[in-house]
Amino acid sequence: MKLLAVTACTTGIAHTYMAAEAIEEVAKEKGYEVKVETRGSVGVENELTKVDIEGADAILIASDTSVPMERFIGKKVLSVPVSEAIKDTEKLVDQAFNASIYQGNKNLVDEVSEIKEQRAAQRKGAYKHLLNGVSFMIPFVVAGGIAIALSFLIGYDAFQQEGTLAAYLKSIGDSAFGLMVPILAGYIAYSIADRPGLAPGMVGGVIAIALNAGFLGGIAAGFLAGYVVLLIKKYIRLPKNLQGIMPVLIIPVLGSLAVGLIMYYVLGAPVAAINTGMNNFLTSLSGTNAVILGFIIGLMMAFDMGGPLNKAAYAFGTGTLVAGTGSMVMAAVMAAGMVPPLGLALATILFKNKFNNAEREAGKAAWVLGLGFITEGAIPFAAADPFRVIPSIMAGSAVTGALSMLFKSTLSVPHGGIFVLFAVENLIGYIIAIAVGTVVTAFLVGTLKKPLQEIETERNVKNEKYNRSSSI
Amino acid sequence: MLINKNLIEMNLTSKTRDEVIQALAKLAYQEGRVSDIEKYVQAVLKRENEYSTSVGFGVAIPHGKTNAVKEPFLGFARVKEVDWAAPDKNPIDLVFIIGVPEEQSGNEHLKILAKISRKLMKEDFRSSLRNADTKESILNIIQDAVK
Repeated sequence: MKLLAVTACTTGIAHTYMAAEAIEEVAKEKGYEVKVETRGSVGVENELTKVDIEGADAILIASDTSVPMERFIGKKVLSVPVSEAIKDTEKLVDQAFNASIYQGNKNLVDEVSEIKEQRAAQRKGAYKHLLNGVSFMIPFVVAGGIAIALSFLIGYDAFQQEGTLAAYLKSIGDSAFGLMVPILAGYIAYSIADRPGLAPGMVGGVIAIALNAGFLGGIAAGFLAGYVVLLIKKYIRLPKNLQGIMPVLIIPVLGSLAVGLIMYYVLGAPVAAINTGMNNFLTSLSGTNAVILGFIIGLMMAFDMGGPLNKAAYAFGTGTLVAGTGSMVMAAVMAAGMVPPLGLALATILFKNKFNNAEREAGKAAWVLGLGFITEGAIPFAAADPFRVIPSIMAGSAVTGALSMLFKSTLSVPHGGIFVLFAVENLIGYIIAIAVGTVVTAFLVGTLKKPLQEIETERNVKNEKYNRSSSI
Repeated sequence: MLINKNLIEMNLTSKTRDEVIQALAKLAYQEGRVSDIEKYVQAVLKRENEYSTSVGFGVAIPHGKTNAVKEPFLGFARVKEVDWAAPDKNPIDLVFIIGVPEEQSGNEHLKILAKISRKLMKEDFRSSLRNADTKESILNIIQDAVK
């Protein structure tokens, strides 16, 4: 038998660890395998892994604060105040093995935002820094893209008339887009080196634009700035009474000079070449190659539903956005990201007998999440039945990505789902692409999943056998 | 060091929970760990009033996280059967008092407190504290525990 436990208390200083010790002791005495995650002020230690949880027979939560619970769905979970776990450890350990199955948070929208937060907290290293930059950049790209799309709505060339509303809208959009790369670079550096990284990072970002190194140059500048500032902090030591000038004088000046000069003399040219190459590749992309790229993007978007692969495809998509022109890649990314929740939502309607009440209820919320391009909306379904759900949504998203490329739909903003359809070129093709993928996913899920009754019957048969043998 | 001889009281005669806390806070103040006794005591009592820090086995672990703490510390006292408003109604005779600054850098001392907390669950640790004759030996027991 394997027991897992999570302990946490309000101050996170003592009870967390006392409860952990008590639970470990009792479980060992009883001959159980045991692992206890402590969530104290030291941070989370001995964190339970997916493998741990899969192999567990029961989970005991001894906590006075909130503990991420999503991971325990489908397991026997007993939740108690931490002080009880210290006193009645033995009784509670026994009770945990008879606890009811944790069904999870019934509200899909809450659950999804919890998952997103958790994932953000778990990100590490370069990936975390990059995504921090991307997440700060997105609002600028959305504002810019929409302003420009509005200008185009007035008339495709309307902005060329100076002093008109269309010209101002275009100018607002260009301004927002102009900040995209500096903000990206600045907040990558911020993530690496905290506040002192911001100025050198943003300066490096502006230089990246000047050098025509674009999005890639911004990423390079951001990482460069972050690590340069870390080095300055490490190696330049001032006497105590002068330390106040480090953040206001030494770091910004030395950091910006170092980053700027390295960009001009070393990194700028090669990165600009790569950037131009990539853009040429993307603009020349057509036919089979484009469809294959869309297919792969679709697989990536659906595979981990908002995880690293999904975010990598997404970051690539935003990188292909250039002010004023829509991107086929971005369009494929968004379409493929919308399909998993949409397909599952459709499946809960078409195949009612294969989903329980809670899932059918969640299906309604999944429509909204899908239309809003929140791929994470598929996670609760996938978590409950990964081997049937994940291949289904990957297939649907891949079809959508490929079709979106085939129809040469473009999108000029990085987010928004159904609310930014006006920023899509070749809208009909786009909607067809999304609809086909949604239907593919729904039917695959419907075919692969077993009807609930069958599962129930299997259980009943087993119970009957059991009853008979016990009555004899 | 989190704890030293001056933060240990072998036989504290205070009779109530609040007096014990007050007395131990004063030790911490004299050692320069606490800048404002009243403020620290209030933080500790606020925590006590959420629910008692008596954890059974005759042990209580009052603690406060406040900016009235200058440097993290651990204090220890043996007392004579003080009522700690424990849910099991039993009086306590061992008190560990903990102070942590509101914003502290590094978490080395938090790890030490975590180790002590785990040790408290061990019968032999508690009885050796009850039987020790000198402050030195108590200090040694505690320091051994966190090695």
